[in-house]
Amino acid sequence: MEQLTLPKEKLPELLGEIGSKFELIGPKEENGFLAFRKINDPKEVNLEILLSRVPPKSLIFQQTETLFTYAKGKDSKVQSPKIDESVRVIFGIRPCDARGYDIIDPVFMGKKESDYIDPFYTKKRNRSILIGLSCNEPDTNCFCTSFDDSPANTKHVDILFTDIGDTFFVEVVTEKGEDLIKNLSKIFSKATEKESTIRKEREKTAIEVISRKMNTEGTVEKLNKMFDHEFWIEAARSCIGCGICTYLCPTCHCFDMQDESTLKLGGRVRVWDSCMYEEYTHHASGHNPRPSRMNRVRNRVYHKFNYFPKNDGIFGCTGCGRCIDYCPVNIDIIEVIDKVKEVNV
Amino acid sequence: MVENKELIRVVEETVSRDDVKYVIGFKRSTYGFQIKPAFAYSAKDAKEFFYSPLCAKNLATYPLLEEKLPLRRGEEAELKKIGIVVKGCDSRAIIQIIQEKGLEREDVVLIGIPCKGVIDPKKIAKRFPKQSKFVDVEENNNDEYVLEIGGTSHKIPKDELLSDVCKSCEYPNPPLYDILIGEAEEEFQPEHFNRVDELEEKTIEERWEYWEKHFQNCIRCYACREACPLCYCKTCMADLLDPQWVRRSVNLSENTAWNVMRAFHLAGRCISCGECERACPVNIPLMELNKFIEKEVKEMFDYTAGLDTEEKPFLGSFRPDDPEDFIS
Repeated sequence: MEQLTLPKEKLPELLGEIGSKFELIGPKEENGFLAFRKINDPKEVNLEILLSRVPPKSLIFQQTETLFTYAKGKDSKVQSPKIDESVRVIFGIRPCDARGYDIIDPVFMGKKESDYIDPFYTKKRNRSILIGLSCNEPDTNCFCTSFDDSPANTKHVDILFTDIGDTFFVEVVTEKGEDLIKNLSKIFSKATEKESTIRKEREKTAIEVISRKMNTEGTVEKLNKMFDHEFWIEAARSCIGCGICTYLCPTCHCFDMQDESTLKLGGRVRVWDSCMYEEYTHHASGHNPRPSRMNRVRNRVYHKFNYFPKNDGIFGCTGCGRCIDYCPVNIDIIEVIDKVKEVNV
Repeated sequence: MVENKELIRVVEETVSRDDVKYVIGFKRSTYGFQIKPAFAYSAKDAKEFFYSPLCAKNLATYPLLEEKLPLRRGEEAELKKIGIVVKGCDSRAIIQIIQEKGLEREDVVLIGIPCKGVIDPKKIAKRFPKQSKFVDVEENNNDEYVLEIGGTSHKIPKDELLSDVCKSCEYPNPPLYDILIGEAEEEFQPEHFNRVDELEEKTIEERWEYWEKHFQNCIRCYACREACPLCYCKTCMADLLDPQWVRRSVNLSENTAWNVMRAFHLAGRCISCGECERACPVNIPLMELNKFIEKEVKEMFDYTAGLDTEEKPFLGSFRPDDPEDFIS
């Protein structure tokens, strides 16, 4: 892995150059929160706020995706949208959010050859080069370390930037990353041994800052035994059934498909859906297999901490803490898992 | 001042009644300045109840969230009451729901709390970020909030942390209650519709730009709807597919339709608890829409929602002598 450095004052130059050659997406402050948006001016990039409010999953698994459009009448035709495949650079993505992609990749890109490969997700994923940014100061509800992850993990990105004072320590992880660096003018320097040590220290300090821990050991087995436990009624008692925890989750990937048309034109769209809605499992017959909040909250927990590990060998959670931060009634997933441990079955 | 001891005693007493199923109140959450809804099924559960200026949440949402699963043959519906800890606005929400026949007066036992205004969770989290342990806040007699972090005591002028919606509140005391904890508060001198007045001074283009900026961020999680005690329709029209009033596509046009529709459906019903705005994950100033309509309703029809259970709902009432003058 190539290790480079970039003086901080050169960052605008770098972003300017990337922006002139490719589409550049980065974190930008808007209405008091951080959002990943197209960057036109490097000054817009905000690296102070830790996490974007809506996770960058929305860049690849878009909230609204038009699958095809059609025209009615004599000139009727069905048209597939052209999916942009040119290189796009996503700058400033945090390791946990990048890991979110790794977790949902098998859903859209298949696990084996015979699996369906979703062209919308796959093409967007393949065209994206991820330049990650290590979290030197994790927040209150960060718990990525509970999933053997680290706030400075290189594994999920193409290039990782770590703030080491006046400079960024730059690790080029993948071939995609190498190609990008090759394409750029020579503003990077080789990293020294000392800088590499500082980077490691920064990571260590960041890990120490993380105070919250989810004890996932034995969760899968425990959940296997307590599907019908009355625990879930209490766990869901305060849930009001909004979609925040799922929409702000970097690994939630449920969607609905809808035909939306006017008199002459129409299209089929794929939109985010949430298992926390009553309507989500409402059958055409009127029957609903998940009729109450208890069923729905239980499903969210099971999907992340039982079905996902059983199907893919990985927890469906990155430990970003958004569902804890923004739940209007403070349902704390770490607390829920702790309580699962205490249940006698 | 609400004495927590007194609150716990009242909750214990209420939950021990034969005709009460459970009592809903507040408890301390796992971090920072967060509180969460607490449910007491027996006197011993009441111990974790507490009240402080952090208890912004409107709990009036919960009685209507009770799932009434179909009864089996021979089974009878449980007719026990639900106890709720209510502030002024929460009590008004219950009144409004009773007016609309969403609840019967006998369905609930209201434990009233005279409110001095609540803290905006976003403001306090910004002021004291990264609190991994629960921190409680008290209000002193000097219009200051007092809190202690890591052994250091902080005094913050009330105005800096108070929820905006509380600044224009006229009803700090619950208009309807069964038991009142402590003494009724003095009525406030509210700054009426402050944020709305500011917005009204802008040109129509400026206002559109303002709302466009906010609506395009809406992710349609419907937290505003779910958090609102008065959004309790069995099927929301936003969920209807045929006819589909609001499309599922998330874009400026549909988001605007949703947000305007939500505000309109609360015309003459919104009791200004600010729960929608607190819940919104993308900081849309929803209360400005609600307050704007509240102002119109007040000026044209001299109607205030949620004050009297016997009064007819705004849209179900007709008064030939209302102040609106465009007909005459």
